[in-house]
Amino acid sequence: MALSSGSSTDHDSREKITIQNVSRSYESVQALADVSFSVAEGEFCCVVGPSGCGKTTLLRAIAGLDDPDGGSILVGGDPVTGPGLDRGMVFQEYALFPWRTVRGNIRFGLDRPACDCPDCEARVRELIDLVGLEGFEDAYPKALSGGMKQRVGIARALAVDPEILLMDEPFGSVDTRTRDRLHAELLDIWTQTGQTVVFVTHDIDEAVTLADRVIVVDADPGTVQSTFSIDLARPRERTARDFVGHVARIRTELGRPDDTSH
Amino acid sequence: MSTRTDTSSNAVVAGSFEGDRRRYLRGLGGLLVFLLVWWVGAMTTQPSYLVPGPLDSGRAFIDLFATSTAIVVPVLGSSLVLPTGFAHLAQTLFHYLPGLLLGASCGISLGLAMGWHGVLDDWLRPLVRVLRPIPPLAWVVFAIVWFGIHHTGAAFIVFVGAFWINFYGAYGGVEGVSSELTDAASTLGVERDLSMLKLVALPSAAPQVLTGFRTSIGRCWMIVVGAELFGAPGVGYEIINASNNLAMATSVAYMVLISLAFLCMDVGFRLLERRILTWR
Repeated sequence: MALSSGSSTDHDSREKITIQNVSRSYESVQALADVSFSVAEGEFCCVVGPSGCGKTTLLRAIAGLDDPDGGSILVGGDPVTGPGLDRGMVFQEYALFPWRTVRGNIRFGLDRPACDCPDCEARVRELIDLVGLEGFEDAYPKALSGGMKQRVGIARALAVDPEILLMDEPFGSVDTRTRDRLHAELLDIWTQTGQTVVFVTHDIDEAVTLADRVIVVDADPGTVQSTFSIDLARPRERTARDFVGHVARIRTELGRPDDTSH
Repeated sequence: MSTRTDTSSNAVVAGSFEGDRRRYLRGLGGLLVFLLVWWVGAMTTQPSYLVPGPLDSGRAFIDLFATSTAIVVPVLGSSLVLPTGFAHLAQTLFHYLPGLLLGASCGISLGLAMGWHGVLDDWLRPLVRVLRPIPPLAWVVFAIVWFGIHHTGAAFIVFVGAFWINFYGAYGGVEGVSSELTDAASTLGVERDLSMLKLVALPSAAPQVLTGFRTSIGRCWMIVVGAELFGAPGVGYEIINASNNLAMATSVAYMVLISLAFLCMDVGFRLLERRILTWR
């Protein structure tokens, strides 16, 4: 049967992200309280928790977009001091530049600082191919569906070849069928690129479908409640007994019989 | 609605074409009714100069282009002979265009700077609050004492009008830049403030900046005519000049000329705007 453990204190030698006693509060709300965990290199890690548990804050802190009040975040052993090209971010509401075409959006990161890849055009073509957007190169975001927009968002983040991919409920606004396909595609990409992924979601099914490890965060104040290793072979069948077992355990841990609220 | 059933797309095209045609016909009808009312009003009003009729006005309009007038080109100092209507329109443009373009550039620049830079905003906001409500034409007294009421003075008044409209367009546009987009840009390697302004804030604010400019095109026509009523040469001055001679039909002709000039600029700029903002 599957493994699960209380809190993770085991130190991996290939530790990519180390979060130590991180706290963050906004006015009177304690978004994160003494959060510690680590993510191994090449690991697919999902952070699950109810809305308002500070999981987005945590992701933004790793990205360098938010400055925690206390504790430290190390990426590859170095403290995070701001955003960097080693950490790509995929946003819940896509955050595409509406005035740029699909090609222009994907190319954005390659142009700063002035293109130092030998053939940027080829790189962009390769990415468009990777996320399956052939034929939409010159479309503007307004003409794309939610699923397609997020494909652009993923390709744009991958363009600069970050070591870490940070994903903030990236499939929260797409329909179920598209989401299933995007899950499969994301896992394909991850297998090909071997990046370290931190994926935030409130959907337990999604977390168990994707992750090597699920970190359950509790709300008010945001703390790491427990972590679960999901050692099921991929692709995972959602009706399989083991799968259902993991989902049930995490749901029990979250203390909510039915967590489908946003 | 169309009742054709062969193919739905044909029916839709035919339907919208039909709708367009109907709209144009109604618009034309409205114009014709207005001309009729105007014509009857002019016929029944005495003395006749109180309401010059559409035919007299039309004739006066044609006359604007049947006669020629010599004007002096400012800065160059050379003289230029044009059909009278164009000559006075050119005189107006000699102060309208520099005032509009300079005012818009300064307004947009300050708007971007203040919208983007919090400290600058703190410093200047109260000043803006105080200066903004002053109607541009109130500056006419200073235009006169500083520049004299000629091209420079009139350009100054247009400048003030263009400045504020464009200032608010740019200021609002930059203030409304979504933090999600700037976040995305910073995770993609945009570090310096100036790069962020150029790569994210400016393109994101472009629709509002352009709307501000288009609004200022119209507003500055109102202001420029106001300035010319005080004596600067141009179409506005000619309206007063003609009415002083009780040639009211000529005044109407100049009013129509202003309207046409504005329409041309507005339509031209809308086309340009649509090309720039294809992504919307």
